[in-house]
Amino acid sequence: MPSPAHVQSTPGAAVADIAVNDVRVRLRRGVRRKRRSAQRAVVALGLLLPSLAVLALFTYAPIVQVVWDSVHTRRAPGIGASFAGLANYQAILADAAFRNAAINNLIYAVGTVGPSLVIALGFALALARSTQVNNLLRAFFFMPVLIPLVAAASLFLFIFLPNVGLLDFYLGRFLSRPPNWLGDPDVALYSIMALTVWKNAGYYMLFFLAGLQAVPDEAYEAAYLEGATSWQRLWHITLPYLKPTTAFVAVIALINVVTQVDHVFVLTKGGPSDSTNLLLFYVYQQAVESYDIGKAAAGTLVSLAVLVAVTAVSLGTLENAFGGRT
Amino acid sequence: MFLGHRNTVPLALRREIAPRIGQALVRLAALVWLVPILWMLVASLRSQSFGGPGMASLIPDVAPTLRNFVDAWEAADFPRYYLNSVIIVAGILAVQLVTITLAGYAFARLAFPGKQALFYLFLLQLMLVPVVLIVPNLTMAARIGLYDTLAGVMAPYFASAFGTFLMRQTFAAIPRELEDAALVDGASVLQRIRHVYVPLALPAFLAFAIVSVTAHWNEFLWPLMVINSPDKRPLAVGLAAFTRGQEGAQAWGVIAAGTLLVVAPLLVLFVLFQRRFINSFVTSGIK
Amino acid sequence: MSLSRRTFLAVLAAGFAASAPVLAQTPTEIELFFPVPVDGQLARDMTSMIKEFSDTHPGIKATAVFTGSYDETLIKTRAAMKAGKPPAAVIMSANFILDLKIENELTNLDALIKADGSTNATFMGQFFPALHANAVIGRSVYAVPFHNSTPLLYVNAEHFKEAGLDPEQLPQTWDELTAAALKLTKREGDKVTRWGLMIPSNYDYLGWMMSALTMCNGGRYYNEEFGGEVYYDTPSMLGALTFWNDLISKHKVHPAGEQKGPAVSTAFLSGNASMMLLSTGSLTHVRSNAKFPYKVAFVPRNVRNAVPIGGASLIIPAGVDGERQRAAWTLIKWMTSPDKNGWWSRATGYFAPNMAAYDTPEMKEFLAKNPDAKVGVDQLAVAKPWFATYKTVPVRKALEDEVQAVLAGKKPPKDALVAAQKAADEIMRPYVEQTALKLPRS
Repeated sequence: MPSPAHVQSTPGAAVADIAVNDVRVRLRRGVRRKRRSAQRAVVALGLLLPSLAVLALFTYAPIVQVVWDSVHTRRAPGIGASFAGLANYQAILADAAFRNAAINNLIYAVGTVGPSLVIALGFALALARSTQVNNLLRAFFFMPVLIPLVAAASLFLFIFLPNVGLLDFYLGRFLSRPPNWLGDPDVALYSIMALTVWKNAGYYMLFFLAGLQAVPDEAYEAAYLEGATSWQRLWHITLPYLKPTTAFVAVIALINVVTQVDHVFVLTKGGPSDSTNLLLFYVYQQAVESYDIGKAAAGTLVSLAVLVAVTAVSLGTLENAFGGRT
Repeated sequence: MFLGHRNTVPLALRREIAPRIGQALVRLAALVWLVPILWMLVASLRSQSFGGPGMASLIPDVAPTLRNFVDAWEAADFPRYYLNSVIIVAGILAVQLVTITLAGYAFARLAFPGKQALFYLFLLQLMLVPVVLIVPNLTMAARIGLYDTLAGVMAPYFASAFGTFLMRQTFAAIPRELEDAALVDGASVLQRIRHVYVPLALPAFLAFAIVSVTAHWNEFLWPLMVINSPDKRPLAVGLAAFTRGQEGAQAWGVIAAGTLLVVAPLLVLFVLFQRRFINSFVTSGIK
Repeated sequence: MSLSRRTFLAVLAAGFAASAPVLAQTPTEIELFFPVPVDGQLARDMTSMIKEFSDTHPGIKATAVFTGSYDETLIKTRAAMKAGKPPAAVIMSANFILDLKIENELTNLDALIKADGSTNATFMGQFFPALHANAVIGRSVYAVPFHNSTPLLYVNAEHFKEAGLDPEQLPQTWDELTAAALKLTKREGDKVTRWGLMIPSNYDYLGWMMSALTMCNGGRYYNEEFGGEVYYDTPSMLGALTFWNDLISKHKVHPAGEQKGPAVSTAFLSGNASMMLLSTGSLTHVRSNAKFPYKVAFVPRNVRNAVPIGGASLIIPAGVDGERQRAAWTLIKWMTSPDKNGWWSRATGYFAPNMAAYDTPEMKEFLAKNPDAKVGVDQLAVAKPWFATYKTVPVRKALEDEVQAVLAGKKPPKDALVAAQKAADEIMRPYVEQTALKLPRS
């Protein structure tokens, strides 16, 4: 604002006056903007601080410890750790058990993520309408999620028990030689996968139920009137609308594939003959059974790297599907 | 209202075979899904607890017995364990609701340097698993004086990456105009969060509450590590006392009964709040 | 802070100072980590036993802390030690003791024994000789045996009679065992409705059973005096593994693939298996749940009778000092006294390692009423230490993975044992290079 008390002596001075004031205004606005953005940063920090404090103590501090452990090793039993560079990483990549666990995890991922999603989608499609019956059925599918894994594992130990267990009791009438569900190295991993699908499909079903909401009825009506079959409707209308949901569920499922190893811990301990060893169970074995903290830490970081990569890729797809909204 | 717009004649009733077959298959699948739980119910009421030839039968005994429940109840201090579990899940949830709301708002509405990087840093928590964290976390808990306390069990979970992510998505979907109106009225950040965002995100909170409660009610390994005193033990640890026969013996009926005792509150709550529960879970989903 | 609160605190502080002499006499607090060995009821038994100790020892307040399985107990103990809060005493699976000692995680008990005016020999002399090797390492005492077991042959007497066998003449050799199993196995067409014999083969149990069979075949499994040698690729173990494999593939009296402990006991109790090799620790469970008459016997021999010991011992972790260490030692001595040891043995089905426990009147009465328990005790005369080496678990797993493959019909026994030996040697190499292969440089 031009100063009111200022007496204009010449037209040139007046113009210069206005120009100077214009710059002053812009400067002030710039300072204000910076102050506002600094204010915002402070506010943001304040809001994030409680979470960050907890994360620092219980997530980041351990990660630092894990990184430190992964580059140290103990050359002889009973003495302290010494720096070892990438020796631990080399050791685990050379370890047949690690490669085995990685391959098992891959099979496990393919065998659970795909079927879980398909099954969950199937359930969601069938139970999309909110009827009494459908509500009840949805509850049935969700119940496994509520059972603690320790208990679910005991339950399944019984179900898989040879001869007397649930599966053999009923299937034994048709199959003369039912496989040793948890004791045959060729079968055990698939039994574990079945348990995982049972436990998680209901959970993923809920996300698909949400996603189905977004598909407008009119699209279905129009397709029906044009004579599209139910399969065509599924393929051309439902599935495209469900892309973001599918990506989201796939990420959650993939994270679970790597991080949920409790059932292996309780049911098979990686056996028989290492056939159900998974990456994070391998880490557990190194940490506890072999008491080789260095290798356990290296294994953790490798698994973490895999997870971060997978998540970043999927989240990228997710954001794009959402239209780039952060 | 969940899927309320689907009140037109369902496609399944329009003489199409495929949807009908689909429906039938799903009903069959529901039965299969239920079998393990059904067995648990039947076995817990069965009198022979070691595993006679009929142990696997899904047909309930003619003379059911509550003996297994009595055995399970007596073998462990269940009332105390219930109390401890309730304290743990309630404490965790209470703090989580605060931290995820604040952090979720920050990620949804504020622009600040390093936002993307910080968000990924948050997500790291989702990917770290108990086994790796046990020793560092236990050391940390001991250092801040929380060894062998319920607070020590709760502390690592006070921040929740999943919850923050969920709130971020939920808040981002709320129209900015509502907040701007409050801003014009001179509301501070905290007031805006409390009066504009929180009321609209209640379904999401409910959904998150259910996930959090279930996860922590059923948690076993971390409480086992932190807690020594028998009177601070939560349920899942108590349950493990049954399901961990070392050298071969298992009393299946008692195991089933013990499991039901642990799961019962969740199941009852679930059945009662089923529709609201699923609806809220669903509507808060990924929008 | 307000004035009144400050005053209050000052008064409180003064009160504490005044009562300091009283506070100095607060009981020493110790905790005992214990796993659940057989079933959940025992957790309550342990808790009540520890409470009795606290009640009878006014200067010590002991708490019994349930710590999951043997594995979880190991994790929790190590984590607690690293966090600076070692437990005063732990009931630790006997086969972890050597590993813990090598890692300097145990308190050497020699000084405590000496302070009592005793010697290692006298102290250990209370316990069955077979238990010494898992407790004494390099002449120092690191662990005190608490409860132990051996494998036992359990037999369904009814099935025996039905098959024309005499339940009073139980199989004593592998020949007799095979012959009996052949008669006991029942088939309906292609399907086996009753197995003659079942032996558990999940991780941990399998190593133990292989130990038993190898020892019965004259062999050794590992070097009891040096934790860097195992004897997998040997005739005695080859014979044992081939015998087991033959039971499955040649005689078809034993189911294929890995069989978990609970599967074997459940099969036996439900009449699905006529004989089983299982721990004496399951005897109480079998006694309470079998709806048929059963009998027990020594594990049948091929060359000689010999079995490994299983079970757990009491240890004091490193870093427990002063009052707490003395209190823990008092607890350990009390728990392993003939009375208490005997009581726990009767409650669990495990042996009492303290030989004097078998002279107590309660024990004599118990054995008179339960002659099956006596068989287990008698077998102790031929019992040997449990397998323990450097990195016990991975070395054991090296064998178990291979044996499980054989039992599933995927590998011939000889190939499996060669591979197992190679893997085990590789795991023990760091230790061996620091000890046996550490030679003077010229």
